[in-house]
Amino acid sequence: MRRREPLTPYLFRSACWVRSPFSAMASRILQQCVRSIGRPSLRLSSCNLVVRAAVAPVAAIHRPLSVAVDSRRTRWLGQSQIPSGGLLYRQYGDLPPLTLENIKDRVMYVLKLYDKISPEKLQTSSHFMRDLGLDSLDQVEIIMAMEDEFGFEIPDAEAEKLMSPEEIVQYIADKKDVYE
Amino acid sequence: MSAPARSQVISLYKLLLTESKKFPSYNYRNYAVRRVRDAFRANRTIGDPTTVERLITEGQQTLALIQRQVTHTHLDIEQRLLMTDLGPFDIYYYSTSVWQ
Repeated sequence: MRRREPLTPYLFRSACWVRSPFSAMASRILQQCVRSIGRPSLRLSSCNLVVRAAVAPVAAIHRPLSVAVDSRRTRWLGQSQIPSGGLLYRQYGDLPPLTLENIKDRVMYVLKLYDKISPEKLQTSSHFMRDLGLDSLDQVEIIMAMEDEFGFEIPDAEAEKLMSPEEIVQYIADKKDVYE
Repeated sequence: MSAPARSQVISLYKLLLTESKKFPSYNYRNYAVRRVRDAFRANRTIGDPTTVERLITEGQQTLALIQRQVTHTHLDIEQRLLMTDLGPFDIYYYSTSVWQ
């Protein structure tokens, strides 16, 4: 749902609050960098290559400073929120990779949640109509639940052939290119 | 029931359920889903072709009705959101019964 009005001032305020110490720090670092670059370049205009080689370490001295500040900043952020980098970025839009085992677990989980199936009687090989006593309307609802679970649409012509959990698993594995 | 009518009924059932699940309000959504299920279960044993034909037509009309209603509700919410840009939004947001 969109919430337009109340969020804007909060966002704006928090952004200002967070950014202000960093912007001060950043401007200081920028000034130092500009100074350190400016000094050798003034000399370079009048001197030869040897002087340039001698000056190079001077510029290099300033670089560790910014690196130190940078690492301190990330460490500070790390204490507040992020325990270890790297891993965190991948977890948002990603699911664990599909395997046959994985698909089977999810299919059985969805089927156990369906109220007309008793979890004790459910086997991977049980036929929906013969063994579990469901009708074709229930089967349509099961297929719809599978579509919701795995996020793709199953056409009617193929859906009516899927009559047991293992057939569903096989069909989904075929569609998602899972072979082992 | 003949084979084409059967597949037609099954696809109609699926369409009705998917469309009913699009209602934003909890009450409307659950009512529609329950109503569709019950109606199909109640008429499950009918074998007379003309009755089946009539019921299928009725179902298609209901499907169109639900589609119109869903679109209309979404537009209505959109409009409400646009209007509340002027005032305190939170009061509107939590006072409507649509967001359950």
